[in-house]
Amino acid sequence: MADEYLISYEIVSKDAMLSYEKLLVSKSMTKCHGKPYKKSLYLAYREDQKLSSIIKQNFDEFFDYIKQIGLDVKYKSKTKNYVNSSYVRLVLHTTCFKVDFNDSFVKITAVKK
Amino acid sequence: MKSIVFLLVAVFALNAMETVNITGEKTAVNPVGTVTSETKECKSDNCNTVIHITSTPSKKVTVEEKSIEKPATLAPNRDIVITVTGEGVAPINTTSPAQAYALAKRAAIADAYRLLAEKVMGVNVEGQDLIKNMMVKRSTVRTQVYALVKNANIVETTFRDGLCEVEMEIRLSYKDFANR
Repeated sequence: MADEYLISYEIVSKDAMLSYEKLLVSKSMTKCHGKPYKKSLYLAYREDQKLSSIIKQNFDEFFDYIKQIGLDVKYKSKTKNYVNSSYVRLVLHTTCFKVDFNDSFVKITAVKK
Repeated sequence: MKSIVFLLVAVFALNAMETVNITGEKTAVNPVGTVTSETKECKSDNCNTVIHITSTPSKKVTVEEKSIEKPATLAPNRDIVITVTGEGVAPINTTSPAQAYALAKRAAIADAYRLLAEKVMGVNVEGQDLIKNMMVKRSTVRTQVYALVKNANIVETTFRDGLCEVEMEIRLSYKDFANR
């Protein structure tokens, strides 16, 4: 039986410089409804390791996976008296993932709403 | 009488004269001095030649020819690949080069996503100028983009002198937009 986790991710960049990054991982309190994606992500893990630390360790692979789900882009730029400032926010909205912990790897599959 | 005929001939010769300068810009003398604009198709499939003719007070007419690429359009049997390069800068107060690279890369990815969204969805632009006593006191331009981007791929990442560049591409197919 796979566990269900809710994951959200957000990065904020101001003037081409990262100012804020947030990864939230929590077990789902209610059952997720929806159809799982065809593709799954497989990450290596050691025993007693939390999902959040597994994701942080393999962040590039995780990011490649969530790109397929879709990331929200919000961009604002202001040029006042010829001085420019910009703000970019990239968000993975809270999404349910089915997570299977096996002996040496973990299988993560996103659930379509 | 002879001098009048000579003058008329000289005027006609001047009207027909056309010069081409180094940049390919044609300059001609137009007797009427009207402003006209013309667009004609060029031989290749993917471009238009736009000819703008503008008059100047001295009745000189500038003819400028430009080849403009047609924007690619989606068709059922043709995909479009859009490639952008996002840039991000590492913050000054990083503890290691690895951290600087990671942070700059995140910023570059966000920038690349923004560029993709701009290209596909377009940009909202709002401008405002405050003029007081015939002088510009404040000039403000605001741009905004909102989009959901799926299936973008990172092609290449380079990091040099604190600047990270991420080349990102997205493949747009007709079926992605057909059901909208």
